[in-house]
Amino acid sequence: MSSSPTDGPASLVEIVMPQMGVSVAEGTIVEWSKRPGDWVERDETVCLVTTDKVDVEIPSPAAGRLARVLVEPGDTVAVGTSLAELDAAARPGEAHPEEHREEPPPARRGEGGQEADRSAFHSPVVRRMAEEHGIDLSSVQGTGIGGRIRKRDLVAMIESPGRDVEPPEEHERPLHIESPYRPEAPAPATEANGDRVPTGDVLPEGRREAMSPMRSLIAKHMTESRRTAAHCTTVVEVDLSRVVAARKELREGMERRGVPLTYLAFVASAAVDALNRHPILNASIEGEEIVYHDDVNLGIAVALDEGLIVPVIRRAQRLSLEGLASEVYELAGRARNGALEPDDVAGGTFTITNPGQFGAVLATPIINQPQVAILDLEAVVKRPVVVDGEDGDSIAIRPMTNLCMSWDHRALDGAAAARFLGDVKDRLEGWEAR
Amino acid sequence: MAGKMKGGPNMKLEAASPSRSLDREGASDPLTRDDRALLLRYMLMMRLSEERGLTLYKQGKVPGSFYDGRGQEGICVGAAFTLGPSDRTCILHRDLGAHFVRGVTPDRYFANYMGRAGGVTGGRDGNMHFGDRKLGSVGMVSMLPDMAQVATGMALAFKMRREPRVAMTFFGEGSTANGQWHEAMNFAGIHSLPVVFVLENNQFAYSTPTELEYAVDPVRRARGYGFPGVNVDGNDVEAVFEVARVAVERARSGDGATLIECQTMRMHGHGAHDDMSYVPDELLEEWSHRDPIDLYASRLADEHGFEPGEIEEIRRSVASYVDECAERALASPMPDPAIATEDVFADEWEALGDAEAPWSRWSVTAPSSDSSAGDGRPRGNGDQPGLAERGRAA
Amino acid sequence: MAEMTYLEGISDGLREEMRRDEAVFCLGEDIGAFGGAFKVTDGFIDEFGADRVLDTPLAENMIIGASIGAAIEGMRPVCEMQFADFISCGFDQLVNVAGKLHYRQGVSVPMVVRLPSGGGFSGGPFHSQNPEAWFVQAPGLKVVAPATAADAKGLLVSAIRDPNPVCFMEHKGLYRHVKGDVPEGEHAVPLGEARLAREGGELTVIAYGSAVPLALQAADELDEDIEVLDLRTLNPLDTEAILASARKTGKVLIAHEATRSCGVGAEVASLVSERAFESLDAPVRRLTAPDVPIPFSPPLEQAVLPQLDDMKEACRELLAY
Repeated sequence: MSSSPTDGPASLVEIVMPQMGVSVAEGTIVEWSKRPGDWVERDETVCLVTTDKVDVEIPSPAAGRLARVLVEPGDTVAVGTSLAELDAAARPGEAHPEEHREEPPPARRGEGGQEADRSAFHSPVVRRMAEEHGIDLSSVQGTGIGGRIRKRDLVAMIESPGRDVEPPEEHERPLHIESPYRPEAPAPATEANGDRVPTGDVLPEGRREAMSPMRSLIAKHMTESRRTAAHCTTVVEVDLSRVVAARKELREGMERRGVPLTYLAFVASAAVDALNRHPILNASIEGEEIVYHDDVNLGIAVALDEGLIVPVIRRAQRLSLEGLASEVYELAGRARNGALEPDDVAGGTFTITNPGQFGAVLATPIINQPQVAILDLEAVVKRPVVVDGEDGDSIAIRPMTNLCMSWDHRALDGAAAARFLGDVKDRLEGWEAR
Repeated sequence: MAGKMKGGPNMKLEAASPSRSLDREGASDPLTRDDRALLLRYMLMMRLSEERGLTLYKQGKVPGSFYDGRGQEGICVGAAFTLGPSDRTCILHRDLGAHFVRGVTPDRYFANYMGRAGGVTGGRDGNMHFGDRKLGSVGMVSMLPDMAQVATGMALAFKMRREPRVAMTFFGEGSTANGQWHEAMNFAGIHSLPVVFVLENNQFAYSTPTELEYAVDPVRRARGYGFPGVNVDGNDVEAVFEVARVAVERARSGDGATLIECQTMRMHGHGAHDDMSYVPDELLEEWSHRDPIDLYASRLADEHGFEPGEIEEIRRSVASYVDECAERALASPMPDPAIATEDVFADEWEALGDAEAPWSRWSVTAPSSDSSAGDGRPRGNGDQPGLAERGRAA
Repeated sequence: MAEMTYLEGISDGLREEMRRDEAVFCLGEDIGAFGGAFKVTDGFIDEFGADRVLDTPLAENMIIGASIGAAIEGMRPVCEMQFADFISCGFDQLVNVAGKLHYRQGVSVPMVVRLPSGGGFSGGPFHSQNPEAWFVQAPGLKVVAPATAADAKGLLVSAIRDPNPVCFMEHKGLYRHVKGDVPEGEHAVPLGEARLAREGGELTVIAYGSAVPLALQAADELDEDIEVLDLRTLNPLDTEAILASARKTGKVLIAHEATRSCGVGAEVASLVSERAFESLDAPVRRLTAPDVPIPFSPPLEQAVLPQLDDMKEACRELLAY
């Protein structure tokens, strides 16, 4: 049995006289079990044929409506002759009201070989699409297993000409389309105050390198601070003789406990003490208000190869000299190892910086906003100084350093700054273990 | 190494020898008078808080179960007192005093037991299963030896970054029977990690007596791992302090781990539901004469010139502080059920914070510290933000 | 781009992260001088030193427990289980400590556990398992399972940067059999995003790990309109991608090498039936190993692990449905 298109509409399927054995050349129609207009399921018998060897029921090659019968019962025709035409695009239940459709048997499962009829089962998506598009499922011929109506059957119907193309409401978000596109970083802003930015053509040849993120953050913060605060710098000279002696005495013990004792720890300790007595230095400016902080959160500037970072010792007022030394050591270590976390560098109320370790003797540091002052410990250098002796003035060799403090003239005045520094100086020059 | 080295399990019950033989005469005494008052305060704070907690449990205010460390106060207080601010702890369920030393306030302890929003875990975990991240503490899990590994891992980080920091963890003799404990000890030994293991031998793992827990006193295993093991009277807070101080300094200076075994007695059941019928009466009777708080109060009077009224005043002020904390916890709200499904995952890594370090080595003695003696709040446990401000830990 | 094997992708990602961030270090058994049982860390010890390529004793709980502590303190440990099977010895630390710390106390634990998993080479019951479902079931752990060389690198990089414990399931069968272009240098693939490995309209095969190349091969050989969704991350699941594809095709086959019951396939099937029921045009099917240990002998192992023919047959059945 075979089928082939006729000249008619593309949906017409021919039913032809089958070849029923190599020796058979012709066959005779005994009767038609369907008449024109009848609905025919695929594989349903349409007519009975007899040959000189067998009688055969001819199954329909497709589902559709029987359009025309071309060979009448009793007629004998050659193998391959067209017997009838079937309209495969037609739908059941149309134009032939008396048409009888049998109730399909319930779907069977797992019965070897034989395919169960599943045309009555409608999957969730089929039901939903039918409802959405107003399709009567009984009029649809399924192409799935057992004649089940599949989603693709409905899609084919919906997309066929003459039907409104209604995209289902589900919006499918685009899936994982990766684009190499990345927005470029905005060009660094030039100074708003009209500073001339030199152009490339007047610069001598040289190497050009983008600022590291840390560098550009420092640049931003520092220029902002310069613009914001009314910077003044006050310097006191401090005789560290007693500190040097105390350090000598304490150093070994602390070293043994894993804590290196530096001059910075002494200065930090003295500064924290003095901050308790001079709250205006442990403050910040917020708009038109000055906020006096209860806790001293002491920032310690740590120089790194790629810039500067200021980890914070929280509630430094509770810490002893050794406690401070330990925290300074630990934080500086973590800063150098890149192991600081955001909390470590936030919330400072006063900052100490220590470029003196590299031999510097004087600086005018920039305040770490929104704090109001930054204290700078310079190198400890042996210098001849005039000291009071019992026999009047004399010259002595003393370990001296400069403490340079930049402060914000918006928050305080020179006298307050000098008094604070004087306090720190007194504490350091008269160092006693507490 | 200070403290008495001890031999086998037979030695445990005679561990009450005073720690005065320790070599720290005169100026080298690391404890000031204020430090000593603090040690007493923290032990009392633990004792009175746990007594109050047990009362709340019996009043039906505590869901689940209740565990305390009665009789073991000297261990956690003495050991934790040695730590600096950036040291880290894994504290277990008989060690409430260590939490207090590190800055947890009793109101947050009570709230945690009662499943309140202001508890350290905000109701996500109960009883002693907590650690305040912001105070450098990683809270215990019920598999008790596990935290020895976590502490060891923190110590590994310190060592890798060459930071002079120490991790301290606590556990009972029961934990020493578990393979995880061995894995932690072995690893700490291999890499000389800065970790201090504090073993509280309280004679019973739930109901199992020590003779069914080990054949050889676990402190002797330390040598096998390549670091010192020290046996100390756990009911002598200064003795514990002293061996812990040496162990912490050892760790901090890069010489590796120490196992400290503290001999003590669990004076209550495993939990409030346990009538400890399996404990011989004589044993309890014997240990009742060695209460760490009573012993220390006597010593402060006899050897450090504390007046009876002074000690009584400390007791009274701690009691009123604990009461006040319990009231605050009782008045605090239950958690919002909406948080039950939140915070399973972190959005970003957040560091642990530093803890209180009230020992005078770390902490400044305020010039007017005597004037604050009356408020019952030791340094480091009165100025922590309390229940209301902190909310849940996460 | 460089052509790399899946194995090289993992090594490359790990190496890049160790160069980028000093906090990243690896620890595990035989990963140092020996370079690891599968050579993922081959040569690492020369570049990074023994401190950062730490050979550990045979103690999985310790490997994971120490990683937890180090991670809490800001390190980024990448620990290697020599075989995924051995994770059972470290289960307690991973599930009870690492997975629950953030929920209980807000402590984040940024660490990766690398788990060489899967069978197909007569590894037997203790060198062939795919234990990912254990961890998907344990709250607080992320689970990823790359199928391509590029994802092996990119997902490992993201896993290392993630602030949570991440189980990184790397399929041993893919190590040298899967090759592909891998971006050189910085390459991070976000966790929690599935990959549309093949577009199609008639059937979605949802797979991960070794089932992905199997599904792609089946689709190509069948020459059908099959979509293949590579989950890549098993927790959190990319539910949107799963549902979008299921809604698009209406037919879903979930394939994995791991055993069947309560596996990832069960979870995906449940998700699809709960949230895409009205789009379904066929029953949701699974292609998995049966609930048996992975046997040793080749014919037995092949009978258990999903094969290409099984995949094709499952696809054909669903397509015809």
